[in-house]
Amino acid sequence: MSTELLTALHVQYIQTLGKSSDDLVYHLTAHLRLNAIYWGLTALCIMGRPDALDQDDVVKFVMSCWDEQAGGFGAHPGHDAHIHPTLSGIQILLTYDSLHLLDVPRVVKFILSLQQPSGVFAGDSFGEVDTRFSYIAVNALSLLGCLDQLDIDKTVDYIKQCRNFDGGFGNSIGAESHSAQVFVCVAALAILDRLDVVDSETLGWWLAERQLPNGGLNGRPEKLADVCYSFWVLSALSILNKVPWIDCDNLTAFILSAQDTEKGGIADRPENVADVFHTQFGVAGLSILGYPGLEDIDPVYCMPAKIIDAMGLRKGWKGLERRTALTV
Amino acid sequence: MHGVKRVRQTPEALAAKKLKEQAKIKEYLALEKEVLSKQASNDWSREALNLTTRILQINPEFYTVWNYRRNILLHGIFPGSSPLEINNLLSEDLTMTTAALKMYPKVYWIWNHRRWCLENVPEGPGTETEGDINGWRKTNWDREMFVVDKMLDADSRNFHAWGYRRYVLASMPVARPEAAELAYTTRKIESNFSNFSAWHHRTKLLSSLWGSGKLDYSKSKEEGKHAMYTDPNDQSVWIYHRWLMGEGKTIPTLSVLEREIVIIQELLELLEEQPDRKWCMESLVHYKRLVLRKHSSTIDVPGVTSECRNLLNELRRVDPARRARYEEIGK
Repeated sequence: MSTELLTALHVQYIQTLGKSSDDLVYHLTAHLRLNAIYWGLTALCIMGRPDALDQDDVVKFVMSCWDEQAGGFGAHPGHDAHIHPTLSGIQILLTYDSLHLLDVPRVVKFILSLQQPSGVFAGDSFGEVDTRFSYIAVNALSLLGCLDQLDIDKTVDYIKQCRNFDGGFGNSIGAESHSAQVFVCVAALAILDRLDVVDSETLGWWLAERQLPNGGLNGRPEKLADVCYSFWVLSALSILNKVPWIDCDNLTAFILSAQDTEKGGIADRPENVADVFHTQFGVAGLSILGYPGLEDIDPVYCMPAKIIDAMGLRKGWKGLERRTALTV
Repeated sequence: MHGVKRVRQTPEALAAKKLKEQAKIKEYLALEKEVLSKQASNDWSREALNLTTRILQINPEFYTVWNYRRNILLHGIFPGSSPLEINNLLSEDLTMTTAALKMYPKVYWIWNHRRWCLENVPEGPGTETEGDINGWRKTNWDREMFVVDKMLDADSRNFHAWGYRRYVLASMPVARPEAAELAYTTRKIESNFSNFSAWHHRTKLLSSLWGSGKLDYSKSKEEGKHAMYTDPNDQSVWIYHRWLMGEGKTIPTLSVLEREIVIIQELLELLEEQPDRKWCMESLVHYKRLVLRKHSSTIDVPGVTSECRNLLNELRRVDPARRARYEEIGK
């Protein structure tokens, strides 16, 4: 257990991930590789170490995931294009200021081709639909400066239909509210300047009730806490300007308690195996909570705020003030 | 990675594990290479189909291979097959993915593949004039309902399974009566009051049943009261109660609000000093504020305002994590 963020150890942990080819899990998770690089790189940026990976290697790898037939990124060389790794690829290229390598018109065409008549987006040509994919499309098109090509009303209309009486959002019409879906829907609406769709007071109440006595946040009522919800819930709260509606010190302590103090990385819960996904969302959560020494994460785009600010895309979110030192 | 405990291993044990894994890695990578190269050359043969079965059994998250499998079926195998053979092939895939779901109940790709299978079941065995043209479809969709039941028996909160259940209900060739589905949520809730997924499902069913006039609104009220008394600390019930009160759609009348406020106040008095009182108080503030906002002309505004203030002060004490919210509302 540690009461401090073990930054150096986590940086080392992320650096080692790319060198784990003697590990079976490394190969069994190839379908998440581009996402994993985005999670790792973003966590590194937030920890102030954007230089910790070899930029040329990473950019080269991203470009090798391009699916020429579909016009998007797969998660790994030889894998099919899908909207999720496509966004990760764009985010990595942007972080490394290498977007000029991308065939923007083709990728925009790929993304737009996935919008369904109902307004929701599919993940790929086989058509699984989810509000996650709507967010991904909106985020990517915004980063590429091509939102003007999107049918915004149709996109918003579907998201609106996923809103429940408890203020939350589900992954499709009729589905139960879920913190991760709340993040994607609220962030998409923020990008589209359509937060009028959100019942901010009811949703703020529902989000605040995600906090459990151990400080952690859950995804749905009467479920266990998990570090990744720190980001899903906090990002939405920060977009609604309601981060103080939960006990931030207690949540900070919960995230820190899920660190692997020997090998680095953050797990879903204390004592569990760490992974890069929870490392990223734990660090991102701490950033919103004003943890000292971290860089700001933009909760809308889930990228370093510096990059989003420089592009003039910042929306009106609010995290806690960055603290200068740990208060004991 | 979710819910995997960290285990401390000796360097020797770790080295032994790595060594053992090397053979598996080699085998897996060889299989992966073979499958992806066949895919790249548009090999839509039976042999390729069997290879996808093998690799998907090891790694059901390999979405590219699921895509490839569907392309093999669509372009390589279905064109030369009779409708009966296609139906059999899809049934086999449904059986294969049922087994996979038991091991990996939260893998999106497995659920997706089932949808695709079901949506591709051909017409038959009858024709438009003879027998049942939807016979195969009915059989498959009915069996699907059974599979979802089993998945929700194993984990009654499985998000994927609930979403899939709604999908099956909406797609079945012979619709299941909503009353039967309502009874299903009752059983789920009775076996676990905290199952908000079942409460949520119920809100959708009741809306529809009330809308069509098949069910009387007032009857459903009683269950909310009963549930609050059973476990006043369970937030599922309180969130559901908020829905019952028409929030988001209709504004409850003053008499309805006042009646519910009395019921909750009685419960609050029963609970005395127990920490369980939080949800009673939180809900009272909510409904009293609703009274203030919507019915201010007919009530004692300063009196109700001061009751809300007192409750909020008490909430700050019993639920300090959300203190800032109570303070903001108090303003």
